[in-house]
Parts: sequence; structure tokens; C-alpha cells
Amino acid sequence: MAIILGLESSCDETAAALVTSEREILAHALAGQEEAHRPFGGVVPEIAARAHVEVMTPLVAQVFEEAELSLSDIDAVAATAGPGLIGGVMVGLMTGKGLALAGGKPLVAVNHLEGHALSPRLADPALEFPYLLLLVSGGHCQLLLVKGVGSYERLATTIDDAAGEAFDKTAKLLGLGFPGGPAVEKAAQTGDPASVPLPRPMVGRADPHFSFAGLKSAVLRARDSGHYTPEDIAASFQAATIDCLVDRTARGLASAGDITALVVAGGVASNSAIRGALRALAERNGLPFIAPPPWLCTDNAAMIAWAGVERFAADLSDPLDIPARARWPLDADAAKARGAGVKA
Amino acid sequence: MMLAIDTATDACSVALFDGGKLVAERHEIVGRGHAEKLIPMIAELPGKGRAQGIIVDCGPGSFTGLRVGLSAARALGLGWQAQVYGYSSLALMAAMAFSDANAPGRLAVTIAGGHGEMFVQRFTRKPFAEIAPLASLTPDAAIAEIEEPLLIGNAAAELSALSGVGEARDIRPRAAETMLLPKAFRELPPSPIYGRAPDAKPPQ
Repeated sequence: MAIILGLESSCDETAAALVTSEREILAHALAGQEEAHRPFGGVVPEIAARAHVEVMTPLVAQVFEEAELSLSDIDAVAATAGPGLIGGVMVGLMTGKGLALAGGKPLVAVNHLEGHALSPRLADPALEFPYLLLLVSGGHCQLLLVKGVGSYERLATTIDDAAGEAFDKTAKLLGLGFPGGPAVEKAAQTGDPASVPLPRPMVGRADPHFSFAGLKSAVLRARDSGHYTPEDIAASFQAATIDCLVDRTARGLASAGDITALVVAGGVASNSAIRGALRALAERNGLPFIAPPPWLCTDNAAMIAWAGVERFAADLSDPLDIPARARWPLDADAAKARGAGVKA
Repeated sequence: MMLAIDTATDACSVALFDGGKLVAERHEIVGRGHAEKLIPMIAELPGKGRAQGIIVDCGPGSFTGLRVGLSAARALGLGWQAQVYGYSSLALMAAMAFSDANAPGRLAVTIAGGHGEMFVQRFTRKPFAEIAPLASLTPDAAIAEIEEPLLIGNAAAELSALSGVGEARDIRPRAAETMLLPKAFRELPPSPIYGRAPDAKPPQ
């Protein structure tokens, strides 16, 4: 059995976890920065970078203490090396390199997206490759065919905003607070999803990609019209987002070939209405639906440790001069989506 | 053994000391490549740099460089169960300048900061001490503040040219020179000295 330390600091969560190859999460600790970013209504890279450096090593010390283990007991150190806010990625990666040198342990540089992509296998031992993954977070919205560890084919991506970005911006426009995902979901519970006519960008298109910028602009216009309550706009926005995600994922299922399951991961996958709609889609297609528990969907270090477990088992490790990368697509061969160019 | 790490400027600089005596150093101008170079450079030191104590440059200096050095120092400290302390980049530069027998009794360290400002701190030689706290100043305010005959650091030449007074010398902090600092100056908490508040301000 291998024990891997995972470190994550690519956005606004600083996290450390110890996970075994038997899928046991020995300890995990996370320090969010919501309070620091709330006044801005979004994550501020400079504020995030300042916060990560203060809390990373105390979190590592905490997980070792909780698991009653020391650096000498683990098999490798896995750290997110990108993509993300580079000032934050740097902190976790340098901490990982320092621990790897100090302990004489291999370093596994993990792609944050691979952490999300493989996290369903941490939650569900029965999940086999290949599966179709909808990765939806504040920074990404992609359909990935997960063929194996390190083997990903990107079927679709967003040509503008990520789905989680649309949630955050909608929350900001409606004054619902930060982080936007849970705030919009809560407001939507008491709103009428049919009350505001909002567009469904890309729905029905042969082109496989996602788009959310137009939806966000429509939310702005609905707000400025003064005709609707924030709750009704939130509910209508969430319904439109679900229609977009379901339509695009259905198209992805049609082109994915033989797969074992439909899987969703990333922070937006913690939204229960979205989970419900994707579960229904999977059932219509006769496929199992796998979604990690919500805490494993949002950024965390257990998924980075697990990606470390999978890569370590495949004999993959990295040199100590590996760079941190702001952009790092999982499928480097994917054709550039028209209109895209800003998302990894 | 004591390991010193300095990544506050475009230099990536590490040194290993035994009882205060330099055992080995690596010093390279890397520009922005600290995150790639630092750990391999430490690994090249005798015993892979293993030490019971670590001192690290906390700044002010390169925003990214500081966090690279501090993250590495803190992680090594955790892994080796070594004590980790910090020092000020400006104090080290002052100590390096004062090691020259011909240096005057007082000097000002000035390095480029953000938004057209510069970090300024003035020091006396005997005893080695700061005259005033670290400040981030516009060039005009810096000229008004500084009365020392020697200006050191990467903004020294600019400031000296603007004011027409003072000798300017560019000095870059170097890990191998950290033992020039009196002990109290290398026992700061290992946290960044940014020298300025974040640029981001909440919308009103």
C-alpha cells in the first residue's frame, strides 16, 4: 500500500491531504479564503497568493499529526503544478519540492484538472476507464473522455466563460454574495425557473462546445429591467445553465463511443439541481451516473493526492526543476475551440 | 549546519554554513526562474543542504521570488524538523555594504518597488541598526527622506542621478553573505515582508 501526500493551492483554497492506494483518506485539511475575497465579489490573485504562503505548511503539519504519520512514512509527494493562478500554484509546488527533497521522496507534479478527472475513482472503486467526464468549475467547463491515467481526449470546452464563472458573475450582479455557486443555488430554491426568458447558448448546435457569456449578459439585462426578483432570475439562470450542460453533455455522450459511466466533477458539480439533471440524462442513456461527494468536487487536496496515487502506481514522477504552469491543457492535442483562447 | 536561501531578487542564491563558516554556495542570476532552480541548487549542496537551521530572505523584493523561497524554506524546515527564521533583504544589503572598510557610517538602501515607488530604509554602521522603518516612497519623497552619503540597491543609481547627491552602488543580496548580519537580524519570523499593502482594493 502506498501513502501519498497531496497539496493544492491553484485558486483560493489551500489544502493538504494524505490518501492511500486503498482509497483511504487518512487526513485532509483545507483553509478557504472566502473571507479575504468576499469584499471583491471574486477571487483576487494577489490576495490569494499572499494567503497561500502563510497557511500551507501548517496544513501539512496538521494532516501528518491527524494521521499520526511523518514524512518518512509516505511514498511520494503530489502537488498541483497547474493550471491555475500562478502565484498560488507556486506555493504548493515549492512546498511539495521542499518536502520531496527533505524526505528523499519522489515528487509527482499533478495537473489540477487531472485531480478533478480522477477524483471519481477515489470515491467509487468500481469506476473503470473509459468514462465521459463533465468537468465544471469556476475556471473550466469541459467534456473529457477519460481513457486512462494521463490519457484524456477533450471533446468540448467553453468558448468564453466557465460555468462556475457564470454562477459567480450572476451572484455578483444580483448581489447574492460570494462564493456565487451556493448563493445562486440557494436563491433559486425560492424562485420560479420559468419566470425570466433567458437564452440557452449553443443548445442544439452541431458544434460540441459550451458558451455562457451571453447568458450572463442576459442576466444583467433582466436585472436592469426591474421586472424580476433576484430569486426568479437566479432560478431562471440555473435552469438555463442546466439546459446548456445537459444538451452539450448529451451530444458528448453521442460521440464518446463505448463508455462505462457519465461522471461529473468540479465545483459546479456540487450543485444538487445540476447533479439531478445529469443523473436523469445518464439514466436515459442507460449509463451509471457517478458524482463524487460535494466536498470532493470543489477544490481539495485529497483529489491531488489520489491523482498522485494513480500516477505513482503508473511509475510516473517528476524532476525537482519542473515549472509551475498557469496554463496546462489535459489534452494538449485538442483542436482550439473557435472563439476560445483563454481557457486551458 | 545552517542553510541560507535568498530569492528576493533576480538572483537565486543558497549557501550552507557550519558553525557560521561558509561550507558551500550556489549563486545564479535566474531572472524569473527561481521556482525551477531553487530546489535543485539546494540538492547540489553537501548533504543535499540538510541543516538544523534555515534562514530565508523575507523581502522586500520580487513578489513571486519571496514566496518561492519562503515556501521552500518552510517545507524544508518541516521535513528536516529544522528551525526556520527570516531576514530583511534591505538589512542584508546594508550589512554587505558595511563590510567594506571604506564604507561610511550611514547609508540608505533603495530598491525598486511597485507603481513607480521605491523601498527605502536607512541604516547605521556602528552599531548595525535601522535608522527608520522600511517605507515605500515616490522618488521625490525618497530624496527628501535620505541624507546618507551612500545609496545602495537597484534604485540607488536612479535616485542619486535625480538628487545629484550621494554615491550609488548596486548590491544584490547573496546567501553566502548572510553571516554578516548580526544574529538578531536573522531571527525574524519566516513571513513575507511585502513592504506595501495589496494593490487590490475592495470596490466601494
